[in-house]
Amino acid sequence: MFKPEEMVKIEVITLNRFKDALLTYLHESGVVEIREVNVESVQKDSPNEYHRKAASYSITISRIADFLGSYRKSSGGGIKAFIFPREKKKREYRYEGIEKLIKDVEDFLSVVEPEVKSAEGKISSIQSEMERLRDEIRVLEMLSLLDIEVEYLRHSGLVEVAVGFVEKPKFLPMVEELKKATENRVALVHREVSDGVLVALAFLKRDYSRVNSVLAKYSFEKVEVPEGRGRPRELIKEYAQKLEAKEKELDAIKKEVEKMAELYYDDVVFYRELVENERDKASVLPMLARTNMTFAITGWVPRIEVQKVLEGIRALTGGKAYINIREPSEGEVDEIPIKLKNPGWARPFEMLTEMYGVPKYNEIDPTPILAFTYSFFFGFMLTDFLYGLIIGIVAALLVIGHKKFNDGTYKFAYTLLWSAVFTMVMGVLFGSYFGNALDVVLQHISGDPNAQAWRIIDPLREPLPVLLAALAIGLIHLFIGYTAGFIVRWKNGDVKGAVLEQLPWMLVITGIVLFALERLSMLEVSLDLPAKAVFGAGLVLFAAGEVINNGGLAALMIISDFFGFVGTWLSYARLMALALATGGIAMVINVLVGMVWGIKFLYIGPIIGLIIFFGGQLFSTAINALGAFVHSLRLHYVEFFGTFYSGEGKPFEPFKSRREVSKLELKADGGV
Amino acid sequence: MDPIVYVSLGAALAAGIAGVASAFGVGVAGAAAAGVVAEDEKNFRSALILEGLPMTQSIYGLITLFLILLSSGIIGGGFKFADATTDNIIKSVILMGAGLTVGLTGLSAIPQGIIASAGIGAVAKNPKTFTQGVIFAAMAETMAIFGLVGALIMIATGVGF
Amino acid sequence: METGVVTGILNSTIALIFTWVAYKTGSYIYKYTPYSYPNARISAMEAKMLNSQKFNELAESRTLQNFVVNLEDTQYRDYLSGLSEYSVEEIERALEKSLAGTYEMLYKMLPKRSRDVFRLLLEEWDVRNIAAVVKAKLRGEPAIDYVSEIGLLLPKVKAMAEAKSMEEILVILEGTPYEEPFRKLILGEITASQFETELYRLYYGRLLDYALSRKGDEKTILLEFLRMKVDRLNIVTALRAKAAGMSAEEIRSLLLSGGSVDLEGVIRVDDVGMALAELDSTRYGKVIREVREELERNFGVLERALDEYILQRMVEVSRFYPLSIAAPIVYVLKKEREIKKLRAIVKLIADGVEPERIKEMIGDLA
Repeated sequence: MFKPEEMVKIEVITLNRFKDALLTYLHESGVVEIREVNVESVQKDSPNEYHRKAASYSITISRIADFLGSYRKSSGGGIKAFIFPREKKKREYRYEGIEKLIKDVEDFLSVVEPEVKSAEGKISSIQSEMERLRDEIRVLEMLSLLDIEVEYLRHSGLVEVAVGFVEKPKFLPMVEELKKATENRVALVHREVSDGVLVALAFLKRDYSRVNSVLAKYSFEKVEVPEGRGRPRELIKEYAQKLEAKEKELDAIKKEVEKMAELYYDDVVFYRELVENERDKASVLPMLARTNMTFAITGWVPRIEVQKVLEGIRALTGGKAYINIREPSEGEVDEIPIKLKNPGWARPFEMLTEMYGVPKYNEIDPTPILAFTYSFFFGFMLTDFLYGLIIGIVAALLVIGHKKFNDGTYKFAYTLLWSAVFTMVMGVLFGSYFGNALDVVLQHISGDPNAQAWRIIDPLREPLPVLLAALAIGLIHLFIGYTAGFIVRWKNGDVKGAVLEQLPWMLVITGIVLFALERLSMLEVSLDLPAKAVFGAGLVLFAAGEVINNGGLAALMIISDFFGFVGTWLSYARLMALALATGGIAMVINVLVGMVWGIKFLYIGPIIGLIIFFGGQLFSTAINALGAFVHSLRLHYVEFFGTFYSGEGKPFEPFKSRREVSKLELKADGGV
Repeated sequence: MDPIVYVSLGAALAAGIAGVASAFGVGVAGAAAAGVVAEDEKNFRSALILEGLPMTQSIYGLITLFLILLSSGIIGGGFKFADATTDNIIKSVILMGAGLTVGLTGLSAIPQGIIASAGIGAVAKNPKTFTQGVIFAAMAETMAIFGLVGALIMIATGVGF
Repeated sequence: METGVVTGILNSTIALIFTWVAYKTGSYIYKYTPYSYPNARISAMEAKMLNSQKFNELAESRTLQNFVVNLEDTQYRDYLSGLSEYSVEEIERALEKSLAGTYEMLYKMLPKRSRDVFRLLLEEWDVRNIAAVVKAKLRGEPAIDYVSEIGLLLPKVKAMAEAKSMEEILVILEGTPYEEPFRKLILGEITASQFETELYRLYYGRLLDYALSRKGDEKTILLEFLRMKVDRLNIVTALRAKAAGMSAEEIRSLLLSGGSVDLEGVIRVDDVGMALAELDSTRYGKVIREVREELERNFGVLERALDEYILQRMVEVSRFYPLSIAAPIVYVLKKEREIKKLRAIVKLIADGVEPERIKEMIGDLA
């Protein structure tokens, strides 16, 4: 807790013939982040022919998978599959080196690829044929305006015929110029259509070039006249029949492909996963160093995994390997990858920290603090027992359904579950059950117009105490942040920074708290003097820090930073504003329901009322939960992290395979 | 002017201005959301959340409207400040001020929509920027929240329920 | 003071504030809203552009057929599906069509007040095509080989390439802005290279006029972009001319106006080396210095370096104005660069160059 996982550097040198096996072992165990071997004048490794094949096959197979996937009958789906997804069955594959794997893939592709390609080719050729037919029908429809047999419109020989469009205003000048250019040896028919003029013109072949340049000048758009004989109107029917026949053909092929998809899809996905992992494995090769006989690999491993990795490598190479494990050196602190380490209850909250950025190796991991405060702020801003219950139930279902995957949904649902618990607690404290719905019901049952659920305070009627509470929470939150920052800086030797940047605000906050206690006269002794002293000391230290850090600009920075602090603090007022907003919307819905409830005719009132009530409250739950989520995160990312946290660490990215439908059987795991 | 004019103006401006601003904000972000979804449907979820952010201002407006109506008695009983006494006029003007505060700070929905729009574009380019986009957009909402806090204080302390 | 006066002052203050707020809000909405949809969509499209890994895979294709297959999961698919054969010319034509499609799509998406710039940018291809066709005709070569499948006047350009005489070409160009220079050319008043300069001068003149007629940010951004484009053309022309030993007078007649740097010093000096020294103090000094070594042998390097500079500068501008015309311009520039690389790969594959070598060469093109 509070510290990221300890990392050590591992260096391995072994024989080239173990390379594939070793990389596969590391890839499958997924606990090492591989780094470039930094030795000058040593040859770097590079992908060989098999790795290149893996890359090109993975594209081919992906395309086949996409194609078959789009024809696969979808199974299941819906809400149930979202909440309780089924675990995919993992098919075993016995790994005997990349050569064998590529060969297996080739064998598989040699069966499937031609079939799929030919079906795909057929479909696309039929589709383009249909597209062409449709285009021609469109052209024919246009030509039917002219009502001239198409064979004449296509005529060429001594006399050429051209059909096409020209913009209306250009039509007359074009005709004039054509006549001039050909000395009147041109005949034409024209029809006006919506956006231009359709023209069919006949001219002598020897005038072709001259006519053509005039046509180009007026941007005459030539139309390709479709094949066939007869008037366009009759020809359209012929084309429509052809189109229909093609459509039937297409349906037949699609059925075939559906069968194909059923037969091959799972295999295709399985092989895709195999080659994609090979491709990914090849991506680290340029980081390795090699000689004729040996190769070297280096990377970071979490300390707790070291033993396992060591044993794995030894078993794999039969001890023919040089392995060196060492502690990170002083200069490497910024390079160490960060894997967060937290107890199980806080682990899903790591997601929220990671979204902002992980800490550096020598900084505090704020996840445990965040786990508590994030959920609490969320609860404070949503503040409704029943909203909390709804969210809690949904989140609990998701947590159960996704636990085995440990995926993003699980982590998010887990954080939501905690938040929902706080929401319910705060809802009870503020007496909010769908806003004031419970109060209304109580009043209705007891007949007492002032009946109310138990609460310590009604935020809508007395917002000020809630505001003060929100600001007090903000002070505590900021104080924790500054203290954390102070400790980290002090520990890392940056005493000056700790004293000048974090300490002043710790003192100022203490001063403010003492003032507040004095005002509330909670204690017997007078705190006026100590309050002033602490507050003053804080301010002086702060000003001194600004002068030391900024020199000439200090005066400006003092003002801007001080008000920055005030703004940060006041920002916590949103806790109260969003809490009130939730209650407010719920109340608005309740008032609306109360208005329609009175309509007695055919029970319309109660029916519509119930619809509005449940629909409205669900909508309100969603929108307010979104608001609570966003603003709770914001209070952490902007206000809280602003006090101490950089988030500039490099996250741990292990060299790891992605297996959903396959599982490798390796030698190191006991295979032969 | 009669107190009723101030009170109803206050309520109308709170919900009206904030609502219009939210509509523009959601509109701008919605156009961006449509753009990225047209290219890739995977962007839908993040675009939807970002698009929804500028909606909050209209909710603040609506709440203020109800609080104003509640505290002036228009909801639940009768209008409390019907007589144009100095005290009643002062109270109704305070209510109008509260409404205006929320309405005008609600204008922050428009820039929020613009930020969200840029954020939606950024997320389409790099999905990892989603959280940052949300936080950037949430920054613009701070003013509306301050407005709401101010208005609540004005209503609760200046008029009461 | 009387209550009436106080109320009056209060009322007018409120009225003033409201007007100001309404005006500000309105202009804010007017300025940004129209770019919301296109710019978001453009960034989604940028996400789909080819990355270096994809380029490496393409370089590994070895045959043109594989190259096309490798592009099938990209946006080029639609343009490549209609290929009649796997030849360099066919593929290049398809790529050019896809670039034209990009311009057309941007034109459709963008607000009316600024979208014409993409029509105008597309016209640059017309200028190139016309110049290429006319030059080919003058040399008596088959002109159609020089036509790129892109541009607003493409049908006219094709008809020009088919035309048998200069008079016919003149007929086709009648009514377009390029009629005048062509008339001068056939009357023998100007040479072929002056004709080309004249075309570009006309073209850039129209572009700059368009940019100057815009308002606010759009004007700033477009002008910045166009000035750099003019500079790029001028610098390359001036250096080439200098290397060919032309006089200052001659060079001056080849340069376009409207650029952001003054090239007077560059054309006055004696040789290329000194010209480069003159350029060192301009905004392009840094990029030119970086390619200095290769430059004396090959001016193509300089063109690429300047293109890259323009792109990077526009990326900066688009960060500064995220909802503006800058993002679409950046997209078009990136798309042009991508297509240039693809065309290079196609040619190299057809020539049977080894994948490793192709990777190196397209790496240099970046």
